[in-house]
Amino acid sequence: MPKLDLLQGTLDLLVLRTLVSMGPLHGYGIARRIEQLSGDEVLLNQGTIYAALVRLQNRGWIAAEWGASDNNRRAKYYSITRSGRKRLTEETSYWQRLSAVIGRVLAPSEGGPK
Amino acid sequence: MNVGVLWARLKGLARRRELDRELQDEIAAHLELAAAENLGRGIGPEEARRLAAVRFGSVASAKEGVWDERGLPGLASCLQDARYAVRGMRTNPGFTLVMVATLALGVGLCSVLFSVLNGFVLRPVPGVSDAGRLVTLQAPVPYPYFERYRDEKGLSAGMAAFIGPVPFGVAVNAGADGKTERVFGHIVSPDYFSTLGVTPLLGRFFDPALESPGAGATVVVSERFWRMRLHADPRVVGRALRVNGRQATIVGVGPKDFLGIFPSTPAEVFLPVTADPAVAPELADDILHRTTQPAFRVLVRLRPGMTMAATEARLDAHTRELDQQTAKRGPEQKGRQVHLLLAGQASPLSIPERSLVVTFYTLLVGLILSLTCSNLAGLVLARGSARFREIAIRLSIGASRFRVIRQLLTESLILAALGGVAGFAAAYGLLDLLARFRGDSALLQSEIAFTPDLRVALFAFLISALAGAGFGLLPALAATRADLASALKASMGTRPRRYRRFGLRNLFVVYQVAAAMMLILIMGFWSSGLRNAANLDPGFDPAPLQFFSLDPARDGLAPNQSAALFTGLAQRLARLPGVESVTLADQPPLNLTVANRSVSVPPVPSGSRESVHAVAFMSIGPGYFATLGAPLVRGAEFSERDLGLDAAPSNILPAVINQTAAKDLFGGADPLGRRIRQDAGDVQRTFQVTGVVRYDRQSLVVNRPVATIFLPLTRYDLRRGSQSGTIVLLRARTHLDGATVRRELASIDPNLTMFNPQTMREFLAAANRVVQSGIGFTSGVGLFGLLLACVGLAGVTAQAVERRHKEIGIRMALGARPPQVMRLVMREGSVMISAGAAFGFAGAYGISRVLAAASAQMAEIFGWSSGNRALTVGIPLLLVSLAAIACYLPARRSSSLDPLVALREE
Repeated sequence: MPKLDLLQGTLDLLVLRTLVSMGPLHGYGIARRIEQLSGDEVLLNQGTIYAALVRLQNRGWIAAEWGASDNNRRAKYYSITRSGRKRLTEETSYWQRLSAVIGRVLAPSEGGPK
Repeated sequence: MNVGVLWARLKGLARRRELDRELQDEIAAHLELAAAENLGRGIGPEEARRLAAVRFGSVASAKEGVWDERGLPGLASCLQDARYAVRGMRTNPGFTLVMVATLALGVGLCSVLFSVLNGFVLRPVPGVSDAGRLVTLQAPVPYPYFERYRDEKGLSAGMAAFIGPVPFGVAVNAGADGKTERVFGHIVSPDYFSTLGVTPLLGRFFDPALESPGAGATVVVSERFWRMRLHADPRVVGRALRVNGRQATIVGVGPKDFLGIFPSTPAEVFLPVTADPAVAPELADDILHRTTQPAFRVLVRLRPGMTMAATEARLDAHTRELDQQTAKRGPEQKGRQVHLLLAGQASPLSIPERSLVVTFYTLLVGLILSLTCSNLAGLVLARGSARFREIAIRLSIGASRFRVIRQLLTESLILAALGGVAGFAAAYGLLDLLARFRGDSALLQSEIAFTPDLRVALFAFLISALAGAGFGLLPALAATRADLASALKASMGTRPRRYRRFGLRNLFVVYQVAAAMMLILIMGFWSSGLRNAANLDPGFDPAPLQFFSLDPARDGLAPNQSAALFTGLAQRLARLPGVESVTLADQPPLNLTVANRSVSVPPVPSGSRESVHAVAFMSIGPGYFATLGAPLVRGAEFSERDLGLDAAPSNILPAVINQTAAKDLFGGADPLGRRIRQDAGDVQRTFQVTGVVRYDRQSLVVNRPVATIFLPLTRYDLRRGSQSGTIVLLRARTHLDGATVRRELASIDPNLTMFNPQTMREFLAAANRVVQSGIGFTSGVGLFGLLLACVGLAGVTAQAVERRHKEIGIRMALGARPPQVMRLVMREGSVMISAGAAFGFAGAYGISRVLAAASAQMAEIFGWSSGNRALTVGIPLLLVSLAAIACYLPARRSSSLDPLVALREE
């Protein structure tokens, strides 16, 4: 089992990001979109997305509504809320800072160990 | 987890089914959408579905992921544990029943003990605010002393003085013909209620401006009196009551449950200290201004931040100063003059007394609880062995140790909950029944509420949880410690020997014997000490005696009238048919009397030192000992001429002393004609011995002869009446019914009210009942300990033998004979039993010594009984033989074991 902590946080972030750019979307749509955007580099069990969706709903960052899908099936559509957007901004900047730091630390040093 | 998320999770829990259906739909939609997209790419329908399912991953784990986000974390698995536990209990109802019953007994008994403790020392005085900060002076002081304390700045956060409990003759109908009822009350300084922090339910409390001397008499009544005697009349303020024969206006009603500062002797009416002495004879003789009449109890509310010790030191300093100023005592007085007692509970206690009581009860509860726990743990262990394989299997297929322990703990906690509820219910029922039994609707003269309250419920809950954790955790740890391979492979009989000697099981047996021994011995000491106290010889034949009380002063008769009434009364009643003789006394024959007054004996060849002695006093009428049936050994008893003598200090009163007093005061010398002196505050009284009686009056608690001086009832006594009124004692051939006496009394004065009529047998029985209930209680606790010990020992030893079946089988197959096997099994058992018995005996002895050293009353109880051979030898013998039987039965079974069967088992 992969480390849940990191994966959880990341998946939540990706879901929020997807909903901002795509508008309301059902679970399958979100999973597909993430796969596409990541160039299929993230190996995602699509089923795990539903736990993330419940978690985000519980925190009030996304809202859900039943609607009709493209092929006229009933599907649950998720959309980002105002506090979700705020959260995304915070998380994004946090993520960027973190990855910058990690990148800096892990970068091969020019002069080698002194 | 923040509150919002918790709330969302809880909502998820509530809508579980609906959400599950939605999730199902959502996943189905997901798979269909995915399949449709795959179809669009030109993949065959079968393959499209398969690929969609592969990309989705496990549906079950997706659902589990969602469930983890919904509901409460861990709750589901806890419920699972609980369900599993309940299923296990259902399949083994006998075991469950024994466990729950044992627990119920333990928790019930502890709850009863705790309720008693709660009633005595923990429950704050009802109706009073912040009772923990209230203290009282141990000894009463003169009113001017109180005024001095009160006016001292920064000494306290409030101070009040009162006389009480004081009897009042109260008639609800203020008219002259109303029936008088004797109720108790306090005569209080105006700051009494404000110091206690109580506010009136109706009307007002006393106010120095309104209760000035000369204003009409006023009275405050308790809420209970108002409810039970005044029909909870909301317009009662301003109404008049007849108090001690005088009109008094009700100005206020106290708050609910408030019965004065010492609810063990409830106060129903409150009069101000400024009341006219005609209403309250206790206030006669200008007592408010006398510095030599220590009549007032002082209540102090401690100042915030000031300790009891500091307050006591300052009060002490003031008292010494006042003593000097009033020249009351010589400068040689050493030690503290003032001792403070905690006043916030049923009856006043000093801090060491309180901690002694609390420690004693804590010890008892601890013993019972640990005995219960070790018993249950033994049972669980016994079953645990049978479950070792189950647990080992669960561990081996991947259950974490934590999970298994949690499962076992859940089981024991469920059992604990069942037992706890049953035990508390039993305790509640029992105590409620007792309370009902004691007081129906009467205004009781003495009561302590033992009915369990929230505090007791909380306590029961806590100890049940503790017991559950206690008996569940240890076996759970032991069971999961088993290394898997050996537990799975081996049957139970061949567990490694190294566990045996100091194993948990053996410790349980030793502890169980020790704790049971301690509990039973302490209870035995206690109950036989009480029995000794109850088994008193009154020194006279109670059969022909009966008595009742009169208090004419409180029926509204003038002091002179009341004194005159008594002089003719005895002769008059003696003329009634069947009556042999009649006499008077200021208290019933046997009482809670202790020798607490000091007298001195002037030496006969003057010049040698005066000796000082502790004695008890009692005032009696003419012919008292003849009526009682206790003969005099020297001299004569009082005659008619001695009744109603002037009590002026210059008058030398005649005195009859009992043999104990004769021995204490005069040694071998002839006491007749000798003088005895008493220094009572500012007055010095002298008595001359005119008789010696064999009757060595004993008090109820301290079963020792009490040196007693009997004085004739003086005019002063007859005018005022004591707290129990004036006792009229009759010796009659046949029982005289109350109606006849009442008719006779009414012909003397229609206002005269007789109270507390009873036969001497009834009186002695009632006094004994208090002690008997104590004996019943202590014996009950002791028996319970015995029962627990037997059950536990039988369980544990039976199980220990069972575990060795295989070993025994091998031994017998190799030629061991049954007696040898018996010895083998018994040897192990007897070592443990002897060890436990020795520890227990030492413990009980030590504890009773410590308790005896800490309190005189305990010393009285334990001092006598710990020298009692029947107890110190009998109880250990009984327990050890019971334990031996518990050991013997399974041992015998094992020796008759068929080796083939034993070896083939499993």
